[in-house]
Amino acid sequence: MESLVVTQAINVAYEVLILAALVLGLAVVMGLLNVLNIAHGEFVMLGSYTAYLVQKAGLPYLAAVPAAAVVCGAIGVVVERFLIRPLRYDPFETLLATWGLGLLLRKLVELGFGRGYRSVDIPISGSINIFGEAYPTYRLVLMVVSAVVLVALFVWYLRAPTGARIRAMVGNPVLAEAVGIRTRQLARNTFVAGTAWAGVAGVMIAPLTPVEPFMGLTLIVNSFFALVVGGMGTVTGLFAGSAIIGGLQSVLTAAVSPTTAYLAMLVLSILFLWQRPRGLFPRP
Amino acid sequence: MTQALFEIDRLSGGYGSGLVVRDVSLAVGRGEAVCLLGRNGVGKSTLVKLACGVLRPAGGTVTIAGREITGRPPSDNLGAGLTYCPQERVVFDDLTVAENLTLMRDNRRLDAFDRFFEVFPRLSERRRQHAGTLSGGEKKLLSFVRGLAEGANMVVIDEPTEGVQFENVVRMADLIQSHKQAGMSFLVVEQNLTLVERVADRIVIMDHGDVVHSGAAADMARDEILSYLTV
Amino acid sequence: MLTSLKTSRRELLRAAGVGALAIGAPAIIRPAAAADTLKIGVLVADSGPAALFGPAQRAAAEFGAATVNAKGGLLGRQVEIVFADAGAPPAEVAKSAVKLMLSDKVELIFGSHDSAVRQGVENVVKGKIPYVYTPCFEGDDCSSNVYFLGETPEQQLQKALPKIVELAHGKTFYLIGDDYVWARTTNEKAKKYIADLGGTVVAEDYYPFGAPNKFETSVAKIKSAKPAIVLETLVGGDNVNFNRTFADFNLSDDIVRLSCLLEENTLAGIGKDASKNLYSSFGYFADIDLPQNKAFIAELAKKYGDKAPQQCTISKGLYDAFVFAAAAAAKAKSLDAGKFGAAVEGLTFDTPSGPMTVKHRHTDKNIFLARCDGTKFTIVDTFSAVPTQQACS
Repeated sequence: MESLVVTQAINVAYEVLILAALVLGLAVVMGLLNVLNIAHGEFVMLGSYTAYLVQKAGLPYLAAVPAAAVVCGAIGVVVERFLIRPLRYDPFETLLATWGLGLLLRKLVELGFGRGYRSVDIPISGSINIFGEAYPTYRLVLMVVSAVVLVALFVWYLRAPTGARIRAMVGNPVLAEAVGIRTRQLARNTFVAGTAWAGVAGVMIAPLTPVEPFMGLTLIVNSFFALVVGGMGTVTGLFAGSAIIGGLQSVLTAAVSPTTAYLAMLVLSILFLWQRPRGLFPRP
Repeated sequence: MTQALFEIDRLSGGYGSGLVVRDVSLAVGRGEAVCLLGRNGVGKSTLVKLACGVLRPAGGTVTIAGREITGRPPSDNLGAGLTYCPQERVVFDDLTVAENLTLMRDNRRLDAFDRFFEVFPRLSERRRQHAGTLSGGEKKLLSFVRGLAEGANMVVIDEPTEGVQFENVVRMADLIQSHKQAGMSFLVVEQNLTLVERVADRIVIMDHGDVVHSGAAADMARDEILSYLTV
Repeated sequence: MLTSLKTSRRELLRAAGVGALAIGAPAIIRPAAAADTLKIGVLVADSGPAALFGPAQRAAAEFGAATVNAKGGLLGRQVEIVFADAGAPPAEVAKSAVKLMLSDKVELIFGSHDSAVRQGVENVVKGKIPYVYTPCFEGDDCSSNVYFLGETPEQQLQKALPKIVELAHGKTFYLIGDDYVWARTTNEKAKKYIADLGGTVVAEDYYPFGAPNKFETSVAKIKSAKPAIVLETLVGGDNVNFNRTFADFNLSDDIVRLSCLLEENTLAGIGKDASKNLYSSFGYFADIDLPQNKAFIAELAKKYGDKAPQQCTISKGLYDAFVFAAAAAAKAKSLDAGKFGAAVEGLTFDTPSGPMTVKHRHTDKNIFLARCDGTKFTIVDTFSAVPTQQACS
């Protein structure tokens, strides 16, 4: 029984960290630019397909990381230039536009690869003993990568002025230009950073899930809940949202049942939308 | 008049296709403060927006230190040595007072602002608050301090004293005077004669999108100025 | 330039929710009608979670129609397919079925989709025309003038479970499935067979259907409970996800898995690294070594070339439906509900997976127990004429 507790504890941490990695790109774009990129899951999906192709080409799996960042970043540049910017970053219009974009990306991938499942081999096999319990190495590596990226982002956000500049730009674009912020580039770079990271997250999870054109649809659900609960535009919110949604689901799944866990998450998210739509730690 | 640092030459423009400002020319010399006066709605704010690139001019040129900056995006202004403090939405409400000041700096230290905090202790007390929570006058002070601290040679300020208490208007005037001595130049759109009388070297008066009077401040009596400002 | 945020996030999130509900629209494809052809409505998954099977379903149906037509048609009339999307919500598909009957004047309906859709269609067809339901399902449906060609849980389990117990050298079971009627019914029926075998069920987990599920938690519990066998009633992506997680946690060497819904596409998703000691029990696999099947696959390859969609039991059933309907109509000399229904009992017809015999509007048929070798199935046992244990009159 003790060994089960150890494994389940690692599972909770794993679920939280993976969710945080998936939410990150969405949180950057939504929290900082007020653009809810409904196609976020599709960028993750494109990252996963990139990983699939890289592996199929016999290249080292790590090569998929820059490849996916470039693929999703480049698509991000095009989308920003021809979709988001012409819509002036308007929250509603971009929401609808990215919804359509998601549809388009799914359809394009379906045309290129078909609906069938692709499987990506685990790049690092084997397990490592933690407190006497074997846990798959690749998952542990993912946890570490996700944790390092999040902590680095947290530190960077606290120290570097870029986060404040993005907020300044969104809140008061005229003044932002006047004080020397190149708002066009900054907005584009922020958006593209979000999509490129979504691609990297896709590489991370590709070996763990069925890779198929519709994978993004289910992936975005939990990310969305985490944003709602955590609050947007703060790193604390991202941590809190991922911890609560990922943790709650993982713990309730283990302790009660998966269906209860899912229902609890839905109820919690609805309660938040209703009573506290800005989440726990929103940007003030 | 010394050699002009900032020159507006036959500038025209407005919103959309309508011309609010027609063929306006004015110049600001080094270490000089020019006050731009006029009744509401005569095109003063439009003129400085055109001059600072917030609006795209329909004609004319803007030069600073001999370099033409007409139509360049405002984000290039600082590089050219020009600071602009707008009339409305003067600060970043979502950022703290401290963040408003350090936004474009490499670090978040506030030492550089100590001399301003001494003059306006209110800002120092509120440095951790969001600027959105400040009063209108306090926001103007914050915007003013930000503009001066950017260290550009040319500072364009639109209505800096709106809502600011009398004693702080006097302090603003003192700061402008001391910065002028250090070689900084100012173009101030202003209604408040308290400030104008203390800082203006020259006065430019606009009406109906055009300059109707321009001359040394010393040559103008208060009554004469007021006659332009009332209908 | 950016616009500053004026609309509240709450409104924005609500709009997102509404948008999410609007996904998917039914598509009905109607070839030009020829005189005196017999139209058959065929419900296939063009959209929705099962759309993966759509192309293979269409191919199997088209080939079925071509086969019937080559042999002189149905009741001497050439058949013509009118496809409709079965991937929409049940109420929508039911509307499509009404349209098929009233506007397209189809005289038969074949369908390969889930049970919720089937019930929706049954409610509108009301037994007026024969309705042939082809995929595996949970059983226990005797709606009038409906014929079931797919595997019931009894067929999948009654012979396969004893064999799996033998292969696993153990009788402890861990049941894991998606939280809906097919999985739960299958597991209830499985429990009876397990009890008959003297086995025990150590735990049961059900995951919400269509939710973004992760399976680390259940895998940890399985690792701790150490069952001999995991019986899986997970579907599609969940099935892939679970089996990959299971193998990542290094359990595939010691624990045997039997999946009740594992066909060629899902196995491709699970991948070669995660399929060790994984078994599937079904009435058809694309690789079964029967001459009927070789011919079936070869003909499809001839017609579709390299692009021939991967066949599996779920798509192949639609081919069977054409063979079945032609044989039944020939015997009944009518599509009239009473005559057709009376004629089918005891009817035997040949399919790519071997002969099927109609009993109580279901079919006794061959069941194959297959072991996954990499991403291929190897048949380890074939059970002939397995009864469905259904008792429709």
